[in-house]
Amino acid sequence: MTIEAVPSVAIPAVDAIPGTKPVPWRHRHLLDVAGLSAADLDLVMRTTDAMREVLARPIAKVPALRGRQVTILFYEASTRTRVSFEVAAKNLSADVVNIAAASSSVSKGESLVDTVRTIEALGAHMLVMRHSVSGAPYLAADTFGGSVLNGGDGWHAHPTQALLDLYTIRERLPGGSLEGRKVVILGDLLHSRVARSNIWTLTAAGADLWLCGPPTLVRGFEAWAGRGAASGRRFHVTTSVEEALRDADVVMALRIQRERMAAGLLPSLREYAARYGLTSERLAVARPDAIVMHPGPMNEGVEIAADVAAGVQSVITDQVTNGVAVRMAILYLLAGTHADRSGAA
Amino acid sequence: MTTGGGPDLEISRAWLVDPAAGREGPGEIVVRDGILTAVTWLSGADADGIGPEGVVVAPGFIDLHTHLREPGNEDAETVASGLAAAAHGGFTTICAMPNTSPALDEPSVYVRIMGAADASGSPVELLAHGAVTVGRAGEQLAAMGELADVGVVGFSDDGSPVRSAPVFRAALAYAGALGLPIVEHAEESSLTKDAEANDGYVATVLGLRGWPVAAELTAVARALAILGDVVLDEPGARLHLTHVSTAVSLDLIRLARERGLPVTCDVTPHHFAMSDDWVAGARRWAWEAVDGTGIARDPWADGALVAPPYSTSVRVNPPLRAAEDAVACLTAVADGVADAIATDHAPHTEVDKAVEFGAAATGISGLETALGVALAAVDADRLPLLRAIEALTVGPARVLGDRTRRAGSVGLVEGAPADLVVFDRTERWTVTTDALLSRGKNTPLLGMDLAGRVLLTMAAGRIAYEAPDA
Ligand SMILES: [Zn+2]
Repeated sequence: MTIEAVPSVAIPAVDAIPGTKPVPWRHRHLLDVAGLSAADLDLVMRTTDAMREVLARPIAKVPALRGRQVTILFYEASTRTRVSFEVAAKNLSADVVNIAAASSSVSKGESLVDTVRTIEALGAHMLVMRHSVSGAPYLAADTFGGSVLNGGDGWHAHPTQALLDLYTIRERLPGGSLEGRKVVILGDLLHSRVARSNIWTLTAAGADLWLCGPPTLVRGFEAWAGRGAASGRRFHVTTSVEEALRDADVVMALRIQRERMAAGLLPSLREYAARYGLTSERLAVARPDAIVMHPGPMNEGVEIAADVAAGVQSVITDQVTNGVAVRMAILYLLAGTHADRSGAA
Repeated sequence: MTTGGGPDLEISRAWLVDPAAGREGPGEIVVRDGILTAVTWLSGADADGIGPEGVVVAPGFIDLHTHLREPGNEDAETVASGLAAAAHGGFTTICAMPNTSPALDEPSVYVRIMGAADASGSPVELLAHGAVTVGRAGEQLAAMGELADVGVVGFSDDGSPVRSAPVFRAALAYAGALGLPIVEHAEESSLTKDAEANDGYVATVLGLRGWPVAAELTAVARALAILGDVVLDEPGARLHLTHVSTAVSLDLIRLARERGLPVTCDVTPHHFAMSDDWVAGARRWAWEAVDGTGIARDPWADGALVAPPYSTSVRVNPPLRAAEDAVACLTAVADGVADAIATDHAPHTEVDKAVEFGAAATGISGLETALGVALAAVDADRLPLLRAIEALTVGPARVLGDRTRRAGSVGLVEGAPADLVVFDRTERWTVTTDALLSRGKNTPLLGMDLAGRVLLTMAAGRIAYEAPDA
């Protein structure tokens, strides 16, 4: 088996039923990006290329997951991510079941374990879940017989977001390499699963990573930078936007939530916008061809100015499109690990 | 070793450990009719081939901090199952914590659990702490005098700190006049709201809400400051800080003792042997998780992660700390700053643990693994055997004073009812749900091998536990 197996037969492979073609992917679940090797990341990127080609067709649909049931279980409201997964699964011809669980049911009523058992009994092969408690997908994976795909857990991880970010950056940077490129993640690091997942993938890709935000919202990351350096996960932490943005190649702004004021972590959204908002003036110290990213949904005028979000440097809509392709790639790769138990014809 | 049908026993050629006498060495013991009639120390040729790595005889262990769940949550533990677990762990005296439902804040609950202990037939000595405040709500003092009259050994709102500083001050003075300690769970709750794991590297990587060292240090400092104030008026006031988990807290306690404040403390086996790496999925002892300079290693970098992260079996209050803090807790046992090893045995049902990490009940079932964990530290040359046994026997006895029936006889004392544990350091045993007699199977040690299988536990001259094949 080689990594080239997918791109060399890119379209035929994704048109076929998983399991009929060997795929060098060994993870039954995608719970975190921390366990992904450089080869794994490369395979995801290449498979995403193939999915992009599928998406470019007049009818963007392949039968790869025909007969498979993908259940999307969201304990947090998020239309964008849910719909992205749903479109991805449907493009692969999967049957999609949507379950919106109120977050209050985390502490009351049916337990997650019971819910997952029920979902499995109803025929699910793959479970895409979002949950407000860090680590919850591990509990689901411990119970579920199929594959669990983490669609975001607490502050911990958002693997498909990090993968689509990586894909989007590689697509935009000359040569597709992040080696030595200055990438800035700006905003509320403390509460961000997007940032935590991006730290793993961007440092693995060799980026010169900078985390920047108000002191209350970068808490703990200095310790991570210190301890992680030994294993090659090097990044910088700063509260100075100027220092972070200077000569940056990529700037990713994170969403600021109103709850942070109530928790006493920020004086006001206005003050945040004035000191940390990504404006065109601030962006001017970055490289002229720097790209601007945001995982959405945006608070325009707070963490990002409307003209920056809509400007020529923005790749925010590319992120949305690539999100579908990356999620198709992940669903496809995961399905390949348990093809033998599928109900596919 | 022979054990007859009655409480007669002879153990020859064993390693005797008697911290009361400050002594360990080859020897023999004889028990007749439940009385320890002879303790013989061997020397010369008679002692040849007898070492501390074989069969060990020690005084029965004392646990200052045991959660039984009766009344209120008998699915997690009953008095009877807790006493059985104690005996299996080598403990012959345990102190029940008062955070039952209802709380042990007035004598009827005390009478009820003592009745359950009698009914169980276990010879293990059950003692109990009373609540400091009514319903452990932190506002109004519990019936402390009445509780002292029926026999509680201290007062604690454990599970929580005594929230109000003025109430804490009043409680220290009132308990002091009764000759009893306040057993404080030191936690500044405003710093630990929704906290999930030790605030630090591991919590940051895993996206868990941080539980800062400062929350414990703040509370320890408050308690010591108030103690210093109270002893001026009530010289009998005594403070016992339980499950201390951080190096800085231990530093402060050391300083307070040097200044003559009447404060004692304990640490748990999990806090001195496990670190927050375990939340990430490491399963190596804390002393293996630091490098040569004492700095914690990176579990993501050196292949230490062998279990899935977020196991609720390691969710505990206070949380497992950084490896440096764990090593400081172990050092405190070794150098005596920690008077006792206490288990904080906290049994829970599977239902209360089979949930998301942040929603899981806090606590580790610990009575039956305390010895094995302590011996792991001994085997690693981190803790002398004599000191480990001291922290499980005469150390906690000193905190209890004359409230244990064993007062003055915690040791291998001829003429006293046999109260001892016999364990074999050459035998390892596997921690399994079947092996644990506690109803609480919630321990991250499940599946691991521990040294020092308990062969026999005798309490008050009766057999409390005997290994099936011993
Ligand atoms: Zn406690």
